[in-house]
Amino acid sequence: FLLPALLCLLTLLLPPLSLGAPTSPAEPISQAYSLALYMQKNTSMLLQTYLQYQGSPFSDPGFSAPELQLSSLPPAIVSFKTWHALDDGERLGRAQGAFLALTQHLQLVGDDQSSLNPGSPILLAQLRAARLRAQGLLGNMAAITTALGLPIPPEEDTLGLASFGASAFERKCQGYVVTREYGYWTDRAVRDLALLKAKYPG
Amino acid sequence: MDAASCLRRRSPRVAGESVKMTSNFRWFLPTFTLLCLLSRVSGQRKGAPRDLKCTTNNLRAWDCSWKAPSGAGRSALYEVCIENRSPPCYRSGKTNTKIPTLLPGDHEITINPLHDSGSSLSRFTLNEKDVSFIPDPPEILDLSADFPASTLHLKWTDRGSVFPHHSRVIWEIKVLRKDSMEVVKVVTHNTTLNGVDTVHHWSWASDMPLECATHSVGLRCYVDDPHFSGRKEWSDWSPLKNVSWSTDSPGKVFPQDKVILVGSDITFCCVTQEKVSSAQIGYAKCPLIHLDGENVAIRIHNISVSEDSGTNVVFTTKENIYGTVIFAGYPPDIPQKLNCETVDLRGIICTWDPGRPTALVGPRNTSYTLSESFSGKYVKFKRAEALINESYQLLFQILPDQELYNFTLTAHNPLGQSQARILVNVTERVYPRTPSSIKVKDINATAVTLSWHLPGNFAKIKLLCQVEINKMNSVQELRNVTIAGADGSRYLAAVGRLHPYTVYTFRVRCATEPFWKWSRWSDEKQYLTTEAIPSKGPDTWREWRSDGKNLIIYWKPLPVSEANGKILFYNVSCSSDEKTQSFSEIPDPQHKAEMQLDKNDYIISVVAKNSAGASPPSKIASMEIPNDDLRTEQAVGTGRGILLTWGHDPNATCDYVVKWCNASQAEPCLMDWRKVPANSTEAVIESDQFRPGVRYHFFLYGCRNQGYQLLRSVIGYIEELAPIVAPNFTVEDTSADSILVKWEDIPVEELRGFLRGYLFYFEKGERDTSKMRGLESGRPDVKVKNITDTSQKTLRIADLQGRTSYHLVLRAYTSGGLGPGKSMFVVTKENSVGLIIAILIPVAVAVLVGVVTSILCYRKREWIKETFYPDIPNPENCKALQFQKGICEGNSGLKTLEMNPCTPNNVEVLETRTAVPKIEDTEIVSPVAERPEESSPEADPESQVVVSYCPPVVEEEVPNPGADEGGGASQVIYIDVQSMYQPQARPEEELETDPAAGAGAAAGYKPQMHLPVTPAAEDAAAEDGADKSAGYRPQASVRAWNLASPDSPRSTDSNSEAVSFGSPCSINSRQFLIPPKDEDSPKSGGGGWSFTNFFQNKPND
Repeated sequence: FLLPALLCLLTLLLPPLSLGAPTSPAEPISQAYSLALYMQKNTSMLLQTYLQYQGSPFSDPGFSAPELQLSSLPPAIVSFKTWHALDDGERLGRAQGAFLALTQHLQLVGDDQSSLNPGSPILLAQLRAARLRAQGLLGNMAAITTALGLPIPPEEDTLGLASFGASAFERKCQGYVVTREYGYWTDRAVRDLALLKAKYPG
Repeated sequence: MDAASCLRRRSPRVAGESVKMTSNFRWFLPTFTLLCLLSRVSGQRKGAPRDLKCTTNNLRAWDCSWKAPSGAGRSALYEVCIENRSPPCYRSGKTNTKIPTLLPGDHEITINPLHDSGSSLSRFTLNEKDVSFIPDPPEILDLSADFPASTLHLKWTDRGSVFPHHSRVIWEIKVLRKDSMEVVKVVTHNTTLNGVDTVHHWSWASDMPLECATHSVGLRCYVDDPHFSGRKEWSDWSPLKNVSWSTDSPGKVFPQDKVILVGSDITFCCVTQEKVSSAQIGYAKCPLIHLDGENVAIRIHNISVSEDSGTNVVFTTKENIYGTVIFAGYPPDIPQKLNCETVDLRGIICTWDPGRPTALVGPRNTSYTLSESFSGKYVKFKRAEALINESYQLLFQILPDQELYNFTLTAHNPLGQSQARILVNVTERVYPRTPSSIKVKDINATAVTLSWHLPGNFAKIKLLCQVEINKMNSVQELRNVTIAGADGSRYLAAVGRLHPYTVYTFRVRCATEPFWKWSRWSDEKQYLTTEAIPSKGPDTWREWRSDGKNLIIYWKPLPVSEANGKILFYNVSCSSDEKTQSFSEIPDPQHKAEMQLDKNDYIISVVAKNSAGASPPSKIASMEIPNDDLRTEQAVGTGRGILLTWGHDPNATCDYVVKWCNASQAEPCLMDWRKVPANSTEAVIESDQFRPGVRYHFFLYGCRNQGYQLLRSVIGYIEELAPIVAPNFTVEDTSADSILVKWEDIPVEELRGFLRGYLFYFEKGERDTSKMRGLESGRPDVKVKNITDTSQKTLRIADLQGRTSYHLVLRAYTSGGLGPGKSMFVVTKENSVGLIIAILIPVAVAVLVGVVTSILCYRKREWIKETFYPDIPNPENCKALQFQKGICEGNSGLKTLEMNPCTPNNVEVLETRTAVPKIEDTEIVSPVAERPEESSPEADPESQVVVSYCPPVVEEEVPNPGADEGGGASQVIYIDVQSMYQPQARPEEELETDPAAGAGAAAGYKPQMHLPVTPAAEDAAAEDGADKSAGYRPQASVRAWNLASPDSPRSTDSNSEAVSFGSPCSINSRQFLIPPKDEDSPKSGGGGWSFTNFFQNKPND
């Protein structure tokens, strides 16, 4: 399960390494779209696995706490009108910002779970895989940005040191929000990239 | 604090006043006395100070107060005088004053109001017992809160310097909670005053997190001075100190990330500005306890063990959820099975079992520390993950010059710690590693050097190693070797007492001295020892060829244990006094040599050689000493071998030799031989070559002066079997009453045992019949002769019948059983005299009878002619008519023939054409009529149901009771025979043949014949059969036939048309009166025909 995903990531990560080459945007868009689709298949499983290991009420069937949010993580859900009003650069820029934050948060959640659930290799592996995929998608988006000639958004450290020293409950909640938003952002990325794909057909 | 400062301020002032008063005392004394007297006088007049009360807060001064006399002005001045004290008086502008502590006992005190002419002096008696000791309220120096631990820390001073004596102090501390000041804890705390100010501490762990509500602490004290005899009282409470928690966050739940013992009670609270709607721990909802503001708490009793990520406690508000995680687990168990040992004396490995799981993981997992008390060193064990089956072990480096180690293993987690100890002498706890790199080196053919590598610093101790020696097809052998230890080198051990040219498998394991544990066995090492010269010469025998010129020398290959190597060749030499003849280098697979020798005495010598050298020669003399007194004996073995015994021969100077061969084998006869020690008198000869049923020849030789003499010759079987073939026999001679049989011997190979005799069977029998059955089955008609004389080869069988076929069988038998038989058929010759007699007698009788008959016929010829063949036949002579008439005359009841309408024509019309004439019917019926009882159906229930036959004349079928009795009634009885009925009659037949089944049981097709029946008959039929019948039923009540008696008039009436069914038959004869088909029917021609019939039919034909 993990190995093919990693191989896939490696192939998808190649384009951004050759940034200088002027390439058609269709190819990186297609690659990013494929990766986003692949990620989309696993997001709900990641969320379910995560909740399953956190105990009640997280592990209760149908658990949902939309009121829980993280200030360091931009929310993925926007109205269609707002989303539609964005141009390609803005859409890509927001998605990149979100996945950058998500990679950092997923790293943090992985560390937290290593301490809370050290005997759960399945959960830890899924968190690790999700982080690697988010990084891969980031690379693909960077390639698209380059191919479209858009300005590359600056990398920001969204987490800083603020998240350290949180209580176990806060860390559980944080992990829940991160895995949930990871799914939302992946859905949104699929939508963004589908739009781009339609605009730049290969 | 205020009280204390006040006290400090007051004290100097009091001291200053007393000094001033002391200096002016002399001057004012007369005046004071005077005033006192005046005061008393005026006091008696206007009133005097009263109710003197004294208290103390430090036992150094008493604070006395009194009530002023009524009417006393504010500016009143009092002089308080104490008797026998110096200074005796004090002045005070108030109604109280401090006086130094008085000694125990009564003291007289006078209080004299000065400047008040109306008041008078008061006298009081003051005792220490009347004084109350009330310490000042204590002062709390500090109250702090350890929020994570929910613990309050209180700090205060005891002001011990104030009190003159060392005394015990009881502190009472109260803890109040919430704004409503609920007392949650009151506790006393004992200390002692020791003359100096001492700061005291008190800590209290709250059952509720301190963040949940404001906590206040108050303090008071009670000084228990043993020297003070007055009343001691509690001080006032100190001012309360508060602790509270504030945060900017909208809501928080406490305690956070706490680790607690499973089963304990705990309170959680949510500090929030919002209204909490519910709270739950795990899956369980909890009732809310309301605190100040919107803060709430829940109380959990007997908390259960948490899962890895802890137990969540969640408070839900309208818009948010707040929570915390609690980790309920156990303190570490005492480490079990702590064991420390070394593999190489470089490091000590201690292993243990953690015991009961703590249910705490990650940062809360148990950490272990292994410390050694002599050296003070320690190593730590910390794992982030509690993996099952992972061994718990720690490596402690061995210190130079230290053999004794006192280890303490401490297990620690947030809930506590536990320890296990072990004291080891490391040189006594060595579990060496597995020896490796086994090598073997030759010393000689029977000894090798074994070497192996064993890592470790064993320089100071001895190694005890064990070498396991395995040889093919042999028990394994263990040898212990003690070796001086070294530091990581190879070790050598010599292994002797081995066999040459043998494959050995070696392996080694080691332990140390003193013994603790064996190491694992090393890998096996296979090794072939070198060759040595054969230890013995080959076992040798010799045989002369039948011509007596050539001698064949045989020898056996040496067993592996004696060959000591691969035998390459043999050297054979024959030497006599005159010459020596030798064969050299006969290659190994060949184990015999033939040489031409004369009849001289030769000594034959055989030597086996391998690569290491030649064996000692084995010698045998060629000469064979003759033995005239020799006879061949017989012996039978035990199935596996054969036992030979012989008498002790004092002349036998060397071994006996038993040789044997297959008796049918050609010369020289030798299969194998065996040497038997000279003192033996018996030998069991066993060989894999022996087969049952094979005859062997055994020869026993005695050895005398290098020559062998044949002592016994034995033929025998190890097991006898039955002969495999039958003896071949022939008939030599046959006569009318005897047979001479001759047979041949069975060859030895087919005899398969010693012949014990023959069995000869004979019986009368033809070839075809006798073949089918054996003769040996013990039947009485089989005669057997047992021939036990095995030399007998012929047998004459006498007393036989002439011209009779005899079946002969001959079988041989041994102790192993009876062999197959050969059979033969022989016909004895004819007896001619008897035959002639048998022919002549009948012929003579026949002739005689013929002659006598002829004579009689001749003499009575006229009568015969008249009787049988008259010229004109006379009807009266008709026997048939006479017979009929006679019957009719004898039975007056017989009316059948007399009645005109009753003609046999009816019978003929209804039935098929018949050969039986009408007259026959009547005749046969006649006997029935004479014996009517026999024809009754009741008389013979098993007989076929009968249907009465009667003339079909309706007019004559009047019910006639007398007809039953009328034995002369003409009746024809029908017997149902299934095959002879027409289809219409079948239902009747079925019903009547099985009356028990009833009409209903006969399901299926029934003829639709209608028969007129009476209602009674119908009812009977309906009752009997209606409920049982199934399927189609005939529309005729056939039951009517059943019920109708043969004699019943009704039956005759109703069956007037049915009389034709069935075949009429005589009851007596059971003969069919009207044959169904023709005269050829076998039934119609059965035993029912009589001579009478024969004669009666004859005219019709």
